[in-house]
Amino acid sequence: MKRILTLLRAVLAATTLVLVAPLAMAAAYEAPLPAEIGTAPDLCAMVACHEVMPGADSFSERMGRPAYVEAYRDGEQGRELIGYVFLSTDIVDIPAYSGKPVVTLIGMDTQGIIVGTRILRHSEPILLLGIPEEELTKFVNQYLGKFVGDKIEIGKSRPDAGYIGLDAITGATVTVIAQNQVMLRSGVAIARQVGILKSDPKPQARFTDVHELRSWEELVREGSVRRLTVRPEQLGLPRANEPYIEMYFGYLNVPAVGKSLLGMSGHERLMSRLEPNEHAIFIIANGVDSFKGSGFVRGGIYDRIQVAQDMDTFTFRDMDYYNLWGLEAEGAPGYRESGIFIIRDPVFSAAYPWSLVYLGNKLDRNTGERSFVSFDQEYWVPAHYLEGGRPTIIKPDPPWVRVWKMRAVEIGLFTAFLLAVATVYANRNRLTRMSNRKNKWPVNAFKYSFWVISVGFVGFYLLAQPSITQVLTWFHALLFQWKWELFLTDPFIFLFWIFIIVTVFVWGRGLFCGWMCPFGSLSELLYKIGGAVGLKRFQFKLSKPWHDRLKWVKYGVFFVLLAVSMFSMGLAEVLSEVEPFKTTFLVGLFSRTWPYTLFAAGLLALSIFIERPFCKYLCPLGAALAMPSTFRWYGLKRKQECDSCKACAVGCGSLAIDKDGRIDQRECLLCLDCMVYYTDTHACPPLAKERKRRLKAGLPLTPIGANGYYIPIHPEPMRPATAGKS
Amino acid sequence: MVDPRMPTDPIEPPYAGYSLPAMVLAEIWHHLWPWCHGGFQRKRALVAAEVAVALAVTLIWVLAALGRLDAAAIIGWWFGWSVFEVMIRMQSKPYVKEGPWWGRQYRKASLMDMISYVSFKNLLIGAALFLALKSMGLLVL
Repeated sequence: MKRILTLLRAVLAATTLVLVAPLAMAAAYEAPLPAEIGTAPDLCAMVACHEVMPGADSFSERMGRPAYVEAYRDGEQGRELIGYVFLSTDIVDIPAYSGKPVVTLIGMDTQGIIVGTRILRHSEPILLLGIPEEELTKFVNQYLGKFVGDKIEIGKSRPDAGYIGLDAITGATVTVIAQNQVMLRSGVAIARQVGILKSDPKPQARFTDVHELRSWEELVREGSVRRLTVRPEQLGLPRANEPYIEMYFGYLNVPAVGKSLLGMSGHERLMSRLEPNEHAIFIIANGVDSFKGSGFVRGGIYDRIQVAQDMDTFTFRDMDYYNLWGLEAEGAPGYRESGIFIIRDPVFSAAYPWSLVYLGNKLDRNTGERSFVSFDQEYWVPAHYLEGGRPTIIKPDPPWVRVWKMRAVEIGLFTAFLLAVATVYANRNRLTRMSNRKNKWPVNAFKYSFWVISVGFVGFYLLAQPSITQVLTWFHALLFQWKWELFLTDPFIFLFWIFIIVTVFVWGRGLFCGWMCPFGSLSELLYKIGGAVGLKRFQFKLSKPWHDRLKWVKYGVFFVLLAVSMFSMGLAEVLSEVEPFKTTFLVGLFSRTWPYTLFAAGLLALSIFIERPFCKYLCPLGAALAMPSTFRWYGLKRKQECDSCKACAVGCGSLAIDKDGRIDQRECLLCLDCMVYYTDTHACPPLAKERKRRLKAGLPLTPIGANGYYIPIHPEPMRPATAGKS
Repeated sequence: MVDPRMPTDPIEPPYAGYSLPAMVLAEIWHHLWPWCHGGFQRKRALVAAEVAVALAVTLIWVLAALGRLDAAAIIGWWFGWSVFEVMIRMQSKPYVKEGPWWGRQYRKASLMDMISYVSFKNLLIGAALFLALKSMGLLVL
């Protein structure tokens, strides 16, 4: 007994080591960062700035808005500026697949060339175990030596359009697309701020001679005055009735707007103080916070607000601020704080849309960490104030649209595949009637074709293997930051899940699990091939009692994963390695460490001898889909005689038919073998009996009705001869 | 005799013969209220404890609305409540719907049927409440 316990302890310890080892290797996964990393002036005291800025001897404190630090080298002629280091989360708040940002430290030289990158923290589940974390490091290292103003996208280079292509990480498309945005937008923001990148000035707005004064309500309605509200809970603070800050703002150079708000003389005075191509906006605010900031000092910048237009940001210094003494517009609300700010950069043009941005820090209530977060509201001078109306703007496609366009053919093929499977299954009665016990090809030809497509095209080519990790990721995205764009960025998984959700409720999980799951299809194909090449005598089923015990294991696995994910997504991701999908399709059997390869290969080898062992006993995704399958709308048909007849049950590969002839809809993989029997007049005992009876009695064999029986013969009494015959 | 055409034996809930509007109301009540009148009469003490737990759950939601609890606690309670509800329903309303949701076929619930029903129903209710609270700014994460 003692020996057994010792052995058990050793096995447990080894298992734990195997499972936890990847966590140790994934150094940046949920890596703890100093709570003040987003706010402390001396950024480089907390993170290794020198790693991204080779040759630097010292660094400045954080400066500018968005923040960066200057890197210096000590030379013979004193300290020399050699570049800039910045933290991505100081500049953009773009979430990756997990719903959380990839915190990246970036170094850029004075020419705008990226000279160093380092991932400080990420929460990407796929990079915890499925794909080595070094792949993300390799990905961001592709930016080294590139100019921040370059057009860079994921995929092949397009020299004709001036795009440089970067290699994606297979299986982590969403992550790299988000990271590309992070790298480009962070780099451009700092490069513009320090003067490396200069924007071309846009044509300035020319205003119409509309001068009618408007009330406050009219100004708001026409969009000349807009509102930006930030609630305390958006910053991680306790909910309160009063907004954290509520700002109304508008563009004052438009004569009708400026005069309505400031009065005739006020507007004239303001305009007389502006140089050509200078722009005035007003802001009034209520709430608990101040948009000017309590720490504002003379000569400093207003660090809580800025104006953004395209990739340009415009910040304000004290000399850009004028007092706003009052609002003349009828019905203007009261306010606690006000100001007029002047944009002096000629790059800004009021003819084009711009945004007022409020910059804040969000408090993570669990860790106490603060992270940068921004809120913005777009503003565009109404068309009737612009000569010729608003200019036409062609906005670049968002990343997910680009992915859909880039992979349009594959998306089309995949959608056609999904529709084909649904159409074939919807016509299952026709196919099963065309089949019989000895010839199931009308059904199997479709099913086997779909398996091959699932394995080759869906699994290995598109890498669109649905997984329990996606369910957990969605769950967490729902909690933290749900962005449709993120899920749309992986079109195949997105479409697959829509299909799965719909078909689970219509027909049960069997259509996905039994006909389309890449791993399930591979598993059953191996079983069929094994049988075809002479291994049939070694193939076996577990006994029904053992099957009925073991089938619950997968539900246990699912509930454990769900429960663990509530406390630690990281651990849940580790445990979800019970799915061999990443090893088989995403990473490759021979690209992972041996325990994973052994596990996946072992399951596939076992599949040669037992039909779908993983699907029946271990798959947490199957369990998750089985539960709603209880309430599928349309199940398979049975006859009353099935309670004593075992013909279907004996051949049921899923072992889903019990001793009473009932089908367990949660376990059924919709192979349709029992439905072939259902209308087979030679295989289904009640039908065979009736067939023989009719043949013996010389009665016609009517077609099989929807209820699975011969359509009954109702002899009609002979009608008496009618009058017409007389 | 077992009817293999149904996964479990057919059953008729008390509202089986109601008109459509009354049936819809009865089903809503069925989804929201796990106890039945008969069960309440039989086991008063147990039901009192159950109600107390239900109140505790309500309190959790109120606290959540006040921003006092984080998501994990709510989900934990949701999970606990679901387990509790499964136990209650197996005694008081041990049946589930079979086939299309707009149909009127009911059958006796096995434990797994009930777990599936309660977890799925509560997931929908929980998600709807969660999103509603979050969108109204009542839930801070």
